[in-house]
Amino acid sequence: MLRPMGAVMKGTTLRSKTRAFVIMAAVIPVLALPAAAAASTLFGSGSSAEQPILNVLFRGYNRQHHKIRFNFLPDGGNTGVKDVQAGRRLFAVNTRPPLPSDSRTTQFKLFLDGLCVAVNPSNRLSNLPIPQAKDIFTGVDTNWGQVGGSNLTTTIDPVGRNSSAGSYTFFQSAVLGGATQSSNVHPVTSDGLVATAVASDKNAIGYVGLAHSGKSSGVRTVKLNGVGCNAHNIKNESYPLFRFIWGVVPSTHASVQVEKFFDWVRTSKQAGQIISRAGAVPAFNK
Amino acid sequence: MSALGASLSPSQSPPGRRTGASPSWRLSDRIGLGFAWLLGLLFCAIAASIVLYFLIEGIQYLRPSLLVTNPTASVNESQTGGFLDPLLGTVIVALMAMAVAIPTGIGIAVWLSEFGRPSALARVTESCIEMLAGTPSVVLALFGTILFEAPALGFLSQTSRGIVLGQSFFAASAMLSLVGLPMVVATVREGLQVIPSHVREASYAVGKTKIATTRRVLLPAARPSLITGSMLGLGRVIGDTAVVLLLLGGTLTFSNANSTPVLGTLRGTGDTLTGYIYYNAPTGDGNQPSKAYAAAFVLMLIVLALNLGVDFALRRSRARLWN
Amino acid sequence: MDEDGLLEEAYGLSQDQRAELLLGALVCVVVALLVAMIAFVFHEAWPSFAHNGVGWFGPGGSVDGQIQAIFTSGELNQVAVWTFHAWPLIWSTILITAAAVAIAFVGSLFVAVFMVEFAPDRLKRVLEPVVRLLASVPSVIYGLLGVLVIVPFIGDHLITEHEKASVTPVIQLSGSSVLAAVLILTVMIAPIMIAVFADGLRAVPRGWLEGSLALGINRWRTFWKVGVRTARPVLVAGTVLATARALGEAVMLSMVSGGVGFSPNPADGLIFLFEPSRPLAATIIANTEQLSSPPMKHTLYAIAAVLLFSAAMLSLIGWAAKQPMKRYGVIA
Repeated sequence: MLRPMGAVMKGTTLRSKTRAFVIMAAVIPVLALPAAAAASTLFGSGSSAEQPILNVLFRGYNRQHHKIRFNFLPDGGNTGVKDVQAGRRLFAVNTRPPLPSDSRTTQFKLFLDGLCVAVNPSNRLSNLPIPQAKDIFTGVDTNWGQVGGSNLTTTIDPVGRNSSAGSYTFFQSAVLGGATQSSNVHPVTSDGLVATAVASDKNAIGYVGLAHSGKSSGVRTVKLNGVGCNAHNIKNESYPLFRFIWGVVPSTHASVQVEKFFDWVRTSKQAGQIISRAGAVPAFNK
Repeated sequence: MSALGASLSPSQSPPGRRTGASPSWRLSDRIGLGFAWLLGLLFCAIAASIVLYFLIEGIQYLRPSLLVTNPTASVNESQTGGFLDPLLGTVIVALMAMAVAIPTGIGIAVWLSEFGRPSALARVTESCIEMLAGTPSVVLALFGTILFEAPALGFLSQTSRGIVLGQSFFAASAMLSLVGLPMVVATVREGLQVIPSHVREASYAVGKTKIATTRRVLLPAARPSLITGSMLGLGRVIGDTAVVLLLLGGTLTFSNANSTPVLGTLRGTGDTLTGYIYYNAPTGDGNQPSKAYAAAFVLMLIVLALNLGVDFALRRSRARLWN
Repeated sequence: MDEDGLLEEAYGLSQDQRAELLLGALVCVVVALLVAMIAFVFHEAWPSFAHNGVGWFGPGGSVDGQIQAIFTSGELNQVAVWTFHAWPLIWSTILITAAAVAIAFVGSLFVAVFMVEFAPDRLKRVLEPVVRLLASVPSVIYGLLGVLVIVPFIGDHLITEHEKASVTPVIQLSGSSVLAAVLILTVMIAPIMIAVFADGLRAVPRGWLEGSLALGINRWRTFWKVGVRTARPVLVAGTVLATARALGEAVMLSMVSGGVGFSPNPADGLIFLFEPSRPLAATIIANTEQLSSPPMKHTLYAIAAVLLFSAAMLSLIGWAAKQPMKRYGVIA
């Protein structure tokens, strides 16, 4: 009894299996064919620190131009430039000025940002001359008693960024004069972690971007060379640690839509409002 | 019930056990038992405090709307939406990664434990799997970046101006299945190896082939180990940050490759709950720690619910097994 | 209906042979993929080893300064700098991993024994999902707990001003330290060990335990001397798995171990516990944005190659440790 039943069932299984296979083979390519794209996606990459503000700018632009979508990969400013040079991405966003090694790219200044020096709110320091900031972060000054204006007499706990961060390179060139950050500076991997470290340790001092320098981050910023770290001083470039955020496109065959987007970011009123509310400083917007 | 009491039916259970009143307990034994109790309770306390911490931090910000709205980019924290797409992203990568890792892991474990010839290949396989267990997931992510940027695999992600981008759910799930694989292989293999040889021999004696024995006798007996291994692997897959950061694209919501229903999403970029937490916590640049803690609490609830469900199913299957 | 293979023998390959070929092919595909990955990593790593020789593993200068020099040389298209002495990173990895595995092993063994044998039923039903829950917590959450709770606690309450002043300006004793890293890593790998140990302990043949009880040995000694001893291969397997996990942990350690390439010195006494460091995997993740610079890329892949090699050695040690256990019929 078993053998004939087995043979019948085997035959049925084989036939229905073949049918299923033929159906799948017909359906899957149809599913995989890209449908006529109603929207076009512009692929970019670059600085992860600028990702929040860029996402808001993308959304603002998309509200006016419904067919343009953006896809931004935050793999770092330097990698972003290399992506544009290799043709892997249509644009990149960077926080450092162009280098000679950035050949075959065109770079635009988009908006301004600043690096603030922050201390714990219980520290009464209000003004820090830049040479003294350099002394603190290169390990020359190790006690708050050596820093005028502070009410503390304990060991200084400097907090900084890791060496791959754009903020670190900027701080190194603008404050440390190219010297390496001392080994007693605690390097952390994001501005948020600097703010957390400074907010929880009354002996700490660190440098953060403008977006993390508000009261909600739990820190208090100090004036550098007598100039406060705020949008007004950054816009008129009187605050020493200001920097531009750059947009990068390839020199040849750049996407027209990307260049239109960068123009919108630089000059339009809506973009200016977005930039200032997001914690950066509009540079050229009306 | 402990292993010792399981063989007796309730009507025959021995008189209540004495846990230390007997004179055969030396001081070192009592200290050992006390230490075991202490560590067991300490372990529960640590787990409870972790869940409680994120409960306290997260619940003040957790609102049901967070679970059903997508993240939107906005300058006001109140308008940035919830984490629906990252939540779905976690489910998608977990399902896809484990759908690959579990069968592959079982196959490799069965081969290692039951077949295993030539023995040189078996040794190499064991070493490779354990090497995989020790690889930081960032290395797997870097390898995945190179692998999925190859033109031949362009159908698994998006292409722009002729160059394959390489970030998609397919890419991330493929690498995550490698992350979860070693746990499944190791535990299933141990589960198969502790089965005494007389069980196999009895099965061969009634004429079953090796593969039938494995399918019908050994694997069901190793089901608890399989479930342990799968849950450990799933834990690693859900909790992974590096692969998600490099291979999933990091967009707030699903960014579909095209408008086909399922494949468009899988070929596109997105985010997972872990990536969302990393981005919005102080570790990232999103600067919305309250949402990050709420998401962390939700993630732990999901994991807890999953574990309780699996535990329930496991106890039912174990009860059936012993009876 | 035919799965027993009795009818198939007439058709050439027996069912067993087909299964063996199929599973063998699956194994070969996976092994080929893994070997390709290993070959890729070692190929990318070779230039860094070639330029540094054996000195790659030794001490020499500030490893953080070397990393920055390597990156800048590639970034600015200057002559590539390759000098790299990774000893502080290697020492940090060894220290943190060994300490965490040792503490976790002892703790996990006791908790597993407790969970399988001595816990009351209700506590057992609670413990099992709790173990799996802790194994599924993402490492970023452990890292956040570390940064928000453990590190400030250590910094405020355990480190004194005198200790901090004694080592500044060489290093800063914030709470991010060896102690914080070992504590959190222990909690992270313990659930893996507990889960694997518990599975193995449950599989000990009941007859052996009952025989020991029948001879009058108390429950604790029975379980310890007979049960745990039988499960030794599983203990080795669980330890290898957990150690591999500890070696590969990058995200959490980058947040709580201190972030500086410094070799903690046990001769410093109590301060040693509070010294910052940075293990190998955390170094890779702290520098992923620097992969665009070719010498930096090769250096990072070299670090990855060292980690892969360590995991392979670990696997070999585990296998060697299981060999003597095969003597008494314990299946290993």
